[in-house]
Amino acid sequence: MGRTDAPELLPGTLDLLILRTLVSGQMHGYGIAQRLRQVSDDVLQVGESSLYPALQRLLLNGWVKAEWGASENNRRARYYTLTAAGRRQLASERAEFARVVGAIEKVLNMA
Amino acid sequence: MSPDVHTPFLRAWRRLVFRWRRTKLDRELAEELEFHLALKQNENRRQGLLPLDAGALSHIQMGNMTLAAEECRDMWSFLKLEKLLQDLRYAARMFRRTPGFSAIAILSLAVGIGGNAAMFTLVNTLLVRPLPYRQPDRLVRITGIFPRAAVPFFERRSRTMDVAAVGFGAEYNLAGEGEAIRIVASAASANAFSVLGAAVARGRSFAPGEDSPGRDAVVILSNSLWRTKFGGDPAVIGRVVALNGVHRQIIGIMPPTFGYPSARVQAWVPMRLDPSNFLEYWAGMFVPMIARLRAGAALAEAQREVLPLTGQFRKTFPYPMARDWNRDSTAIPLQRDLTGDIRGKLIILLCSVGLVLLIACANVASLLLSRATTRRKEIALRVALGAARLRIVRQLLTESILLALAGGLLGILLGTGALSIFKSLLPSSTPGLAQASIDWPIAAAVAGLALLTGLAFGIAPALSASQIDLAHAMRTGSQRSTAAFWTRLRGGLIGAEVALTVVLVVSAGLLIKSLYTLSEVRPGFQPRQILTVRISPNASFCTQRAACIALYDRLLEGARNVAGAGEAAIASTVPLDDQQPYLAVDVEDHPKSVDHPAPVLWAGAVSAGYIRMMKIPLLAGRELSDADGAKSAPVLLISAATAKHFWPGQNPVGKHIKTTGEPQWRTIVGVVGDVHQFSLSKALPDWIPGAMYMPYAQAVREDGQIPAAMSLLVKVRADAEGVAREIRTLAQDQDPDVPVGSVQPLDEIVSGSIANFRATIRVFISFAAAAILLAAIGIYGLVSYWVSQRTYEIGLRAAIGATRHRIISMILAQGVRVALYGIVAGVVAALVATRFLASLLYGVGATDPLTFAAVTALVLAVAILATAFPAWRASRIDPVRCLRVE
Repeated sequence: MGRTDAPELLPGTLDLLILRTLVSGQMHGYGIAQRLRQVSDDVLQVGESSLYPALQRLLLNGWVKAEWGASENNRRARYYTLTAAGRRQLASERAEFARVVGAIEKVLNMA
Repeated sequence: MSPDVHTPFLRAWRRLVFRWRRTKLDRELAEELEFHLALKQNENRRQGLLPLDAGALSHIQMGNMTLAAEECRDMWSFLKLEKLLQDLRYAARMFRRTPGFSAIAILSLAVGIGGNAAMFTLVNTLLVRPLPYRQPDRLVRITGIFPRAAVPFFERRSRTMDVAAVGFGAEYNLAGEGEAIRIVASAASANAFSVLGAAVARGRSFAPGEDSPGRDAVVILSNSLWRTKFGGDPAVIGRVVALNGVHRQIIGIMPPTFGYPSARVQAWVPMRLDPSNFLEYWAGMFVPMIARLRAGAALAEAQREVLPLTGQFRKTFPYPMARDWNRDSTAIPLQRDLTGDIRGKLIILLCSVGLVLLIACANVASLLLSRATTRRKEIALRVALGAARLRIVRQLLTESILLALAGGLLGILLGTGALSIFKSLLPSSTPGLAQASIDWPIAAAVAGLALLTGLAFGIAPALSASQIDLAHAMRTGSQRSTAAFWTRLRGGLIGAEVALTVVLVVSAGLLIKSLYTLSEVRPGFQPRQILTVRISPNASFCTQRAACIALYDRLLEGARNVAGAGEAAIASTVPLDDQQPYLAVDVEDHPKSVDHPAPVLWAGAVSAGYIRMMKIPLLAGRELSDADGAKSAPVLLISAATAKHFWPGQNPVGKHIKTTGEPQWRTIVGVVGDVHQFSLSKALPDWIPGAMYMPYAQAVREDGQIPAAMSLLVKVRADAEGVAREIRTLAQDQDPDVPVGSVQPLDEIVSGSIANFRATIRVFISFAAAAILLAAIGIYGLVSYWVSQRTYEIGLRAAIGATRHRIISMILAQGVRVALYGIVAGVVAALVATRFLASLLYGVGATDPLTFAAVTALVLAVAILATAFPAWRASRIDPVRCLRVE
């Protein structure tokens, strides 16, 4: 593994995916990356070099908040939680995403 | 994104908080990534890799985490602002490290920008800013001067204009309020203020009909006269003052901004329009007419109307007028008329100060260019470390803009000083001049100018520096790899600078030569050791001729008895005192006709000793004597120019002249030398062919009265100050109601007559000096740069046997070549440019070969001097050391 090229994400999609992942509860950065990979059957491999800047961006916008806690192996880890603003953002971005994807579908399925 | 309006603010606030806690965030991020890496390694190990490989793989999988961290960090800060601050800090540090360079650059810009700020202010105030009247663009001046009769004529006949007239202003005695003083008042037609669209600040303006005889006993004061003479007392309205002995009621006070036709005018009286007063109505002081275009009328229509009206009016004269009288009359915008005299001078000064700025910019550009070259290695290093080209260009531009702004700031300070100097160059009576001060729009314009300059001269060096062949510059670390283009550009810049300098220095040279010629002018009289004082009784005081003659006899007698005084004389004017006492005359053998209208002569009324005391040479006949009294046969003296004009090749003694309107001919008894009455550069105005001198007791003014205001001239033998005090007291003792001016040495009047000119020249010299200095710095910089570029080559030449002599002459030749190109271009440009100076020149042609040769030699000498030092340094290059270094 590792060598297979991860597909290009649509711009802005990473934020959406992270927000969606956090709906089920607080998680640290590594956990988020793992979860994305598992759920997408290894299709979506989020590079750490884009994951952490994305998390910082979400923090800055107030959509997630971070706090330090103990991890499974008893190390200090930073856990991210969805905020109320983040939930709202998720809803609106989801709707937007569905709209765009629907539109793309339509174009692809045209006669 | 969220439609929330306060989100941007919230984000900015969080950003601020993040920025504040940056170090903590940094640490936390590092820990988080560390944690991530550990989990990743675990995972890899679980998949059966050796710990070492698992670690390496994890690192590879994570990618460039430094960049990611950098990206996060950028998010916590105000990136653009911080980069700018960093650029600024860096620029400031560069300037501190090279104080000489920075000082030269900032100072030369400050000089350029300061001069431009001051000139822009003046041009804005005087030429651009609209006149402070209602709809000023509708105001016109009807060129040419007309008798009073023309005012009602034009007003009645014109279909496009409302016509009024305001006289140039004349001196009046103001009495009835403390000590009598001499003021300048202007006669204005009753509609003048409404035509101008200027309202009084207090009281009322002239009412219609107040220019008719009997109703004209009113006066309007200027704000300055109201403040200085009446203490700004509002109750002054309604009070009666005596102007030249005529009682007039004060009816209004103008606002401080009003100063028409010039700021010199302190009061306005109605211009009496009285057809029954023949002399005043048709022949007295002619007046300039102004007008307001009527609604719907265009300037062109008014212009078409003026000439036919002038022609019709000419025919209504009760005496023949020249066919070409006022033939070129037209209507021009009033603003152009008001600024006519100084427009040319202002534009010349604006151009030359613009040249100085250009030179300064070229110089700074060239300095920056050479510095960018010497910093190649540093820049190459920064590019190698990952700095983007754009970032480097931005850094260099920041430096040059900072430089320009510093220059601009200092420039505005300098400009305030320069403005007061420039103001002193213009006649103080120029309307609006006193109000000129550097204002905000001008400051903004200058700031813009500074920024533009910064960008303009920043771009070339920045481009040059960012075009670095990285590997090459790093490897050799030498500056030999400059693109030839930029070197040529620099040579071109310096050449252009030299050319501009030549233009300025040639202009200054021509003006200096004019000044020298002027100071060598023989004015036709000897002003040394003569004191003058003006005594101005009211004309009404002299209604009895004998009273005035007696007054001045007493004064002459008293003055001769003052200790330390020698001869004394009186004269209606002294040369160069700004008065123009001309009279229309009839000349024997020269009958008047439509083609030869009445000639005018400069008319002096003098006491018998005047000619001898002023050392005006007697060329033929005899001088005036005390025997030429009120009752003896009328006589006069004429000047050589008068004699030549009317009787070329003949002896005029015994011929006759009389002033127009007087019954009796006066016999010419002598011819005296010409005197520069009008100005040092011009003996008399073009339209006055010569002068005549009448004995005081027989003298007349245009109205037939004896001249009342006279100057007393006293020759000083010893103790000039004592004599000055004594004669002033003496004059004041004659009559407390007679204003007595201050005592002035005659030679001060003479030198004062060219004070404006001298000041203009001083400014030009300082411009030229600044230009030469800047050019010298430019050449020096260029040649030093060449030398540093070619250290290796020069070392090599020295090593294979070139003598110091050869090296010096090689470098000299290069510097001088650039200078020569510049000089040739400059001489060509100056040949074109100096013709615009012609109005300021005297006794020297605009293409005076001597001046051009001298300036060429001077600039060449400066260029050689500026080249000599770097050339000498080049000759000291130690071949061994320099070859080893490379």
